[in-house]
Amino acid sequence: MRMEPIRPAGGRPAHIRHDDDLISAKGVSVVMARQLVLQNIDLSVPKGSFVSLIGPSGCGKSTLLKVLAGLANPTSGSVSIAGLSPGEAARKRMIGLVFQDANLLPWKNAVDNASMLLGIADKSLSRAQLKARGQEMLELVGLGDSAHKRPHELSGGMRQRVAIARALALDPAVLLMDEPFGALDAITRDQMGQSLLEIWQRTGKTIVLVTHSIDEAIHLSRHVHVLGIKPGRITESLDIGLPYPRDLSVTEDPEFVRLVVQLRMMLRASHQPGGAS
Amino acid sequence: MSDQPFTNLSESRPESRLASSWSAATGSWLPAVILLLATIMAWEAVVRIFAISAFIIPAPSEIAQSLVAQWATLMQATLVTAGEILFGFLVSVVVGIAIALVIVRFDWLGRALYPLVVLFQNVPKVALAPIFILWFGYGLAPKIGLILVIAFFPVTLSMLAGMQSVDRSLLSLMNSVGASRTQILFRIRVPHSLPNLMAGTKIAATLSVIGAIVGEFAGASDGLGYVIQFASTQLDTALVFAALLLVSVLGIAFYYAAEILERIVVPWAPKFSQS
Repeated sequence: MRMEPIRPAGGRPAHIRHDDDLISAKGVSVVMARQLVLQNIDLSVPKGSFVSLIGPSGCGKSTLLKVLAGLANPTSGSVSIAGLSPGEAARKRMIGLVFQDANLLPWKNAVDNASMLLGIADKSLSRAQLKARGQEMLELVGLGDSAHKRPHELSGGMRQRVAIARALALDPAVLLMDEPFGALDAITRDQMGQSLLEIWQRTGKTIVLVTHSIDEAIHLSRHVHVLGIKPGRITESLDIGLPYPRDLSVTEDPEFVRLVVQLRMMLRASHQPGGAS
Repeated sequence: MSDQPFTNLSESRPESRLASSWSAATGSWLPAVILLLATIMAWEAVVRIFAISAFIIPAPSEIAQSLVAQWATLMQATLVTAGEILFGFLVSVVVGIAIALVIVRFDWLGRALYPLVVLFQNVPKVALAPIFILWFGYGLAPKIGLILVIAFFPVTLSMLAGMQSVDRSLLSLMNSVGASRTQILFRIRVPHSLPNLMAGTKIAATLSVIGAIVGEFAGASDGLGYVIQFASTQLDTALVFAALLLVSVLGIAFYYAAEILERIVVPWAPKFSQS
């Protein structure tokens, strides 16, 4: 395996290695099956921010999210979440996960699904406390009146709302989301994005979103990091200056359109393997 | 921004699954019933027209007469066989589940046990019947043993398949909150395996009937298998058929009992018989 020298951080936005960083990854490389999946990733996620990771298929963005979640170990480099390792942070319920598939338990109703992980993480809670917390989270995601429905009675978007409620029930510091709306139709997807923005603003959680939708990344995030392929690495970073609160009308803003064009050009460049660093 | 931003979302809800109606159910049964009646009538006609001897192929009417004449004996035998099937089936399900749990929960034991279980599947278990008689005598025990070796495998295999098909990202979620292996086993894998397990249980119910009859063939003083063997030595073929009819009824009854059990245990499982 050949390790690239550490790249200078020149040209990066000034938020890198800020004191308020909740997540900080330094020089993270991952080798899987003799392939360099991630190369020398430096990533900083300020507390309370909304950060998106965008890139082509095979750029390792899901692997990066797994490393941040403590579900995969970096071959070299380090990750700290509020000064803790990802594994320690997960044990302290600081990490909430949402995947593309809602992965609800079909034998439990919405409220029991929403409190399922919390019940495992904290055995001291009573059934009533778990139900109350589940109900509270369902209301936060707009499913307060569907508490007793089983997953098969819910639409795809509603199931994904329950998955978000399940992650939020842990009261995590950071929400790590891996293409959470990837399997939804375009209209539902827009609504889910907007709901997520509103949840973010109500709860003040830090959110890291993996997506391959340019519009979604710009609509929702404060910072977008572009990942390139072969090997997976951060090629560009873009600050989204559009003011919050944003709603779907932001997509008609000339600045939004300009950012879409800029991000698209960055993504096109990121498809070139090897990188010019 | 409004206070309740989520109330006017137009996400569609899927239709209820409880839409099948009674008329559709009877409509699907009708062709099978017609064919059955036609077959019985043709059978009766052929036996009468060609004057076939009753000890080769008895007419349906002769089978019915035998059934009525021997009713008390047949009912007593049916009860004995039904008891063997029920007991053997329950033991098979319990042992089958236990083996599957051990294989999944204890890695090294699973690696030792699973190949042996598969290997054992290749033993012609019907041929074990005489040995079981030798070991356990003529009573209930050899029948239970035979049913067990025939019927536990589909239970174990179906439950294993269900427990091992849990989505990896769901396991990631569980690991992210520090769930133990035992928690993942009993909170996720076991309930997730129930639809598969119930399918395996239905197969085990059918195999239990076979196991009981084979056990009685090998050595018994009671039960429908004994009646079949005894009647055939007497060339009382009508009685053989009458007993066969009752064995079939038992098989159907156990199959449907397992199906009802399935609906009780996994009401949330996806149904295949939807059109």
